[in-house]
Amino acid sequence: MRNRIISLVVGSVMVMALCVITAAAFTKTVTIKVEGMKCAKCSSSVSKALKATEGVEDAQVSSDKGEAVIKYDDQKTNEAKLREVINGTGFKAVAEPGQ
Amino acid sequence: MKLLGIVFATVLITFSSASVLGQASKAPQFELRDVNGRTVRLSDYQGKVVLINFWATWCPPCRAEMPDLVRRQREFRKKGLQIIGITYPPENKDRVRRFARSLKVNYPIILGTRQLKVRFSSDETLPLTIVIDRDGKVSNIIVGILLPKEFDEMIKPLLMKNAEGG
Repeated sequence: MRNRIISLVVGSVMVMALCVITAAAFTKTVTIKVEGMKCAKCSSSVSKALKATEGVEDAQVSSDKGEAVIKYDDQKTNEAKLREVINGTGFKAVAEPGQ
Repeated sequence: MKLLGIVFATVLITFSSASVLGQASKAPQFELRDVNGRTVRLSDYQGKVVLINFWATWCPPCRAEMPDLVRRQREFRKKGLQIIGITYPPENKDRVRRFARSLKVNYPIILGTRQLKVRFSSDETLPLTIVIDRDGKVSNIIVGILLPKEFDEMIKPLLMKNAEGG
């Protein structure tokens, strides 16, 4: 009986660990330069639109730095889609060299 | 005691920065001329769902959402939607009129003032949209660009409720 309980606990921990590792593997972070955010409150529309996008886990947008740091699930969205969302708010997601 | 002070200050800041109007307050009335010289009274739209959209020509998200507002005004006019655009901060009338024409804006545009703006909200974010229900009460304040999901969740239900002729 005791061995069964131990096996069950060990099994559950392994499954949970696997889930965490899998989720982490899908989560990516990207920094996108955003042109045109000249006022302090400008970033709120970008941040709001990104956070409402499926697959986005977090978005920190800074007018001062002119960039958006986005944490997303790459099974649900991708960088090109995130750039589209930024462009849809009237600002311009600047393409990095080579993109 | 110190903690109580901090909590009180936090609550005060939260409320004052979020908005001047609370939800379900009666919307402040105004009577102003639009950029084409026509008188616009909020009371004229009693029984309609009114969106007061504060915007500026230099504000990229405001410009980005305007074609959607034009489309929604066209699509939901018969359901009782009335959008009123108010520029804030104050802008040059000719510039605003030209801009509105270029986008074929199909709702009145008023040149706003600080006094008018603060009667609705102290939040300086643009765009900012005040949602007023058919009873003339503020139903929501949408800060930043109006997302399709927000329109569906906050505005469509008001349009479906007691729709004109329905």
